[in-house]
Amino acid sequence: MAGTRRDKSGAGDDGRENTISRMEARAKAEERNDDLATGSFPQVRRNGSGKRSVNGSGLKAKLLSSTLVVLMCALLGFGYMTQINNTQSTYETLSEDELVRLINETSNQAQLLEQRKNELSSQLSSLKAAADQREQAEKIAKQNEETSGIISGRLPAQGQGVVITITKGSKDIDAATLFTLIEELRNAGAEVISVGDVRVITSTSITSRDEQLLCDGVVLDTPYVIRAIGNPGDLQNAVNIAGGVGSRLKVMYGSRVTVVQSDDVVINAVRGTTTYDYAKNVE
Amino acid sequence: MAAVLGLIIGVVIGVFVQPDIPVWVQPYLPIMVVAALDALLGAARAYFERRFSDRVFIISFFANVVTATLLVLLGNQLGVGSQLQTAVIVVLGIRIFSNVSAIRRFIFRS
Repeated sequence: MAGTRRDKSGAGDDGRENTISRMEARAKAEERNDDLATGSFPQVRRNGSGKRSVNGSGLKAKLLSSTLVVLMCALLGFGYMTQINNTQSTYETLSEDELVRLINETSNQAQLLEQRKNELSSQLSSLKAAADQREQAEKIAKQNEETSGIISGRLPAQGQGVVITITKGSKDIDAATLFTLIEELRNAGAEVISVGDVRVITSTSITSRDEQLLCDGVVLDTPYVIRAIGNPGDLQNAVNIAGGVGSRLKVMYGSRVTVVQSDDVVINAVRGTTTYDYAKNVE
Repeated sequence: MAAVLGLIIGVVIGVFVQPDIPVWVQPYLPIMVVAALDALLGAARAYFERRFSDRVFIISFFANVVTATLLVLLGNQLGVGSQLQTAVIVVLGIRIFSNVSAIRRFIFRS
């Protein structure tokens, strides 16, 4: 019984001590609770307010740090845009099959282009050759044009030659005789001949009508002036040769024939171009 | 504000100036961009948590970029460049996601 009492009293002691310590703790808590200093309410503290800028707090430092931030963000944006531009042209994201196909296509295209280049360069060289030929042909054609122009009477001519003047004698001169004179001059190598104001060409005819001579339908006035370009000596000989056409004119028609050699016989009489209706070039 | 301004300036410059980036930079530029993006989003999260520090931002920005680049460079030298690149991208992507979700919590409070 006593034991239990003691035990009880012991328990009571313990309980008393407990109560005392509890009371003390409460008193401390109340003391703490009664503290009216600031900070009694939970407050979000500004963490690291001391580290807000690079070097303490100064306007200069703030400016520097925000400039750095701007610069870095600009760098980021710039890199981003550059990468976007770059990605559109790189093949890194393509698969192997696609890459192989791409290579094949590219090489095919390169081949085609090479072929095309060859074609074009051969075409270019042929065109160049053609241009050369054309130039040559043009040169020849120009020469031909000059000579044939002189021959056909399209162009005026000048050069060494003779001027033959035949006055009207006692009788009218026969057309055949004048034609003979022209033929003799041709035989002697006359290149260009004119009778009066008429250029003598291959189809020139001498006719007589009403005691007048006509050359290609143009009435010739006396004295007849015949200009011929060629070797002057030969031409003079052809006219003045003994028994030739010159002496015949003197003897038969009583004309006076003068042959004057000249270094500069000018024949301005020209003919228009003749068009051929039937004759065609042989190709 | 400065960050947004800088981003706009950079994008505008990037649109109008289209430089030919050197070949040796080409494999690292995307990684650099992603790392910088991660740093930027981390800074945004810190800003919302009211513990943004420009010193920390600047250092983390460059540290991120340099680390990512060096990792990819190392991978290229060891012959596992593309794998390591993928790893870096994955890690940075996870970080970006967590940062974005933290920011979202601050904005929507949920």
